[in-house]
Amino acid sequence: MATVVPTTLEVAEERQIVGADQLPEQVTLWQDAWRRLTRNRMAVIGMVIIGFFLVTAVVSFVWTPYDTWRQALGITYSGPSLAHPLGLDDYGRDILSRVMGGAGIALSVGVGASLVASAIGIILGLLAGFYRGKVDVLISLLINISYGVPDLLIALILVVLIGRGIQNIILAISITAWLGMARLVRGQTLALREREFVEAARSIGTKNLKILSRHILPNALGPIVVQATYLVPAAIIFEAFLSLLGLGVPPPAPSWGRMAVEGYKAIQIAPHIVLAPCVALSLTVLAFNWLGDGLRDAIDPRMRR
Amino acid sequence: MSQTLGLVETKWEGPLVSVKDVYKHFPTGGGLGRGAVVRAVDGVSFEIAGGETLGLVGESGCGKSTLGRVIMQLQTATKGSVEFEGRDLTKMHGEKLRQVRQRMQIIFQDPYASLNPRMTIGDIVAEPLKNFGLGGRRDREKRVHEVMRVCGLNPNFANRYPHEFSGGQRQRIGIARALVLTPSLVVADEPISALDVSIQAQIVNLLEDLQAKFKLTYLFIAHDLSVVRHVSDRVAVMYLGKIVEIATSRDVYDTPLHPYTKVLLSSIPNADPDLEVQRKPILLKGEIPSPINPPSGCRFHTRCPIAQLPICAEVEPLLEKKADGHVAACHFAGKL
Amino acid sequence: MNLTTEFGNAAGTVRAVDGISFEMDPGETLGIVGESGSGKSMTALSILNLVPEPGRISGGQILVNNQDVVSMTSSELLEYRGGDVAMIFQDPMTSLNPVLRVGFQIEEAMRAHSRFDKRQAKERVIPLLQRVRIPSPQQRAKDYPHQFSGGMRQRAMIAMGLANEPSLLIADEPTTALDVTVQAQILELLKDLNRELGTAIILISHNVAVISSLCTRVMVMYAGRVVESGPTRQVFDHPEHPYTWSLLRSVPRVDERRHERLISIEGMPPDLSRLPSGCKFHPRCHFKVDRCSHEEPPLAEVAAEQEARCWVLMRNVSSQAQALKT
Repeated sequence: MATVVPTTLEVAEERQIVGADQLPEQVTLWQDAWRRLTRNRMAVIGMVIIGFFLVTAVVSFVWTPYDTWRQALGITYSGPSLAHPLGLDDYGRDILSRVMGGAGIALSVGVGASLVASAIGIILGLLAGFYRGKVDVLISLLINISYGVPDLLIALILVVLIGRGIQNIILAISITAWLGMARLVRGQTLALREREFVEAARSIGTKNLKILSRHILPNALGPIVVQATYLVPAAIIFEAFLSLLGLGVPPPAPSWGRMAVEGYKAIQIAPHIVLAPCVALSLTVLAFNWLGDGLRDAIDPRMRR
Repeated sequence: MSQTLGLVETKWEGPLVSVKDVYKHFPTGGGLGRGAVVRAVDGVSFEIAGGETLGLVGESGCGKSTLGRVIMQLQTATKGSVEFEGRDLTKMHGEKLRQVRQRMQIIFQDPYASLNPRMTIGDIVAEPLKNFGLGGRRDREKRVHEVMRVCGLNPNFANRYPHEFSGGQRQRIGIARALVLTPSLVVADEPISALDVSIQAQIVNLLEDLQAKFKLTYLFIAHDLSVVRHVSDRVAVMYLGKIVEIATSRDVYDTPLHPYTKVLLSSIPNADPDLEVQRKPILLKGEIPSPINPPSGCRFHTRCPIAQLPICAEVEPLLEKKADGHVAACHFAGKL
Repeated sequence: MNLTTEFGNAAGTVRAVDGISFEMDPGETLGIVGESGSGKSMTALSILNLVPEPGRISGGQILVNNQDVVSMTSSELLEYRGGDVAMIFQDPMTSLNPVLRVGFQIEEAMRAHSRFDKRQAKERVIPLLQRVRIPSPQQRAKDYPHQFSGGMRQRAMIAMGLANEPSLLIADEPTTALDVTVQAQILELLKDLNRELGTAIILISHNVAVISSLCTRVMVMYAGRVVESGPTRQVFDHPEHPYTWSLLRSVPRVDERRHERLISIEGMPPDLSRLPSGCKFHPRCHFKVDRCSHEEPPLAEVAAEQEARCWVLMRNVSSQAQALKT
């Protein structure tokens, strides 16, 4: 059990090494979380659906059965057929191609906005929580005021001012979506900075930037990942909502939200036009929420020990 | 081993640490206007000589851990100065203070809380070296492995995470991290109280070995008087933010002068049944007063078995020399 | 009271307590000493038939006042727990309801049992608080637990434990969270209660000195087994099991005349799911012989009333033991 290894530090006596052979197989905290995640059925289904749309999205950038913008491919409003499995819309465009292209837009907007919002939220949250005092007062004030203004209003004004390009849409969504992340990270940082290992880091002369990046951020990463996952479906819905108001990704780009809006005028004669993008939208949103739930349970620190 | 990683000789001749009239008050927070303050440390002075172990004992809430952190500059003193190797740390800030941290380290009580769960133990032990840009990657790795071995850890496990280790092993990791820079002062804040009994002796013996090997100076903070007596050359006893007695380890136990010290000693049960039957515990009345509003005069007078009014309630006794190398703060020192 | 315990107790497939037997006379004080995972707390919980899920008492018999605890119905158990046998824990805050007044909780403890009627229960609260030496009990009974200090809470717990005049009080690390001066008060209180009321006490502790101060008899546990037992004086003066011997010498003594190196028990307490073969202590033992690694010694009488589970016995290795100390 105990092995004897002499030291090289000119130590006269040999010291016993404690528990030399007693460590079980190495499992990192993330491996452990991943194992729990893959045991969660809903999370796995979520990941499969996300994977499917991700592949679809990537494929749609290089190939779709028909060009997404090409009109009059057949009789408008016609239902599913062999040539057009999901039918044609009011302009005679291929719905399958448009749903595929929509996946690319939805995921770009969703993931893009989540990343931008997370970046803003993490940085401001870390600063507010770590430095406290005036920095915290300022950032918290910004957060609270922003919470008071409807995010749709801010996004609308921004889109009107800077235009409707996909980057602008992402920006418009991120500009309000970071608030929750900032609050979360601020809370985490406030709690973590009081932990003894952070005090230990200070005692060995670790600089503040390193304390933030090496000690606080990695320990807050679990909840951050969960929150970032939930931000994706929220952003997708937000984009659909902007489209509903005619301010989403500009036509003829096949945003799912826009497709649903355009289709709903003809819902009585051709329900498939609305159905296809709505199902895709719901599935994606659900999948991300399932994944978020699964991640939350997998990372929950209370499960450890 | 590269030069930069070796033992550093100190040229300083005076006391390694000299604490002068240090206060640490915490605001109780909240409320309107000026809130009350917790007088965690309330006017404390003492010195630690190079190479010695000074034990600091007291019950929970007496301010001993806060005092340790003030010395380490992890808490800033409200008033007073802490001189380390002749330089006043309370006047140092930023990079200057950070550089001093190479020479003084702290070992924490809770080996679970004091190690970053997201870092491998190799990275944890190497971090102090990285912080001061000491050695190359190879030198650092070599040094980390050496220190781990000296602390009784298998270097093959450097890539493992803290949660894979037991409490005693984690405490060894914390010790390795504190020693990797070869500091001159180590503050050990209740280093064994969170460990299983059979592990406690391992850590105590390790700390003693390391002291001999690296010529360390310890400030050993603990509530357990028997352990403090065992490891210390001198012992300081704290009560409600004040030091009531300092003497050599032997004098504190053989001829305690302050009634509180005497009470503490009489309270410790003895494993030896023959001595245990002889022990007459002096039971204190009442509860420890709040450090927000400590008693006037001598802080111990409300519970002291030999307190005499009005003097003890009105005049604060000073920490005075009562015998050679033996100071106590009591109007009736040695009368109990 | 006659308490015979014999059980192997399984939490999963782990035997937290493996075949322990002991008897207690009325008014006796028994100490159970051991480290975390030694099974000392499980033994106590078993006596109350309160082993937490998924554990269960898988064998043996526990007789308290000639009642078989293992085969009690749940209503019998309710009367038995807190009635015949009461238990106090290390952290009284977890056992006290934070939103109810202390006096009311003590009253409730009596109302839950049939020994005292409503009026008697009400009347007994103040004397009980007095008995555990809580100052100004009239007012304190109206306080909430958070208004009590740690030592006072433990006193309140003891009052609650004594409410139904149990014949046995089990105290699981009752002073571990307390300061030494408070610990001294609680130990004195337990001593007095034992003397005045004749309540038998089982004191569970990792601290040999605490056991020494209160208990006339001691049982040393390791890896779910009793490794040594006997009169405290006898066992602590002449320990025969190397674990007991090392434990006594691994803690520094206040009266230490000159600096002796502590005897350190190397390694860690064993993982109950992967116990070593033979004597469970042999991997950490300073005095092991070949036989220890493959054959587990029985608990055998080594002196009058003293039993030890060891092939070697400290009396046979005294010179080796002396050498370890220097």
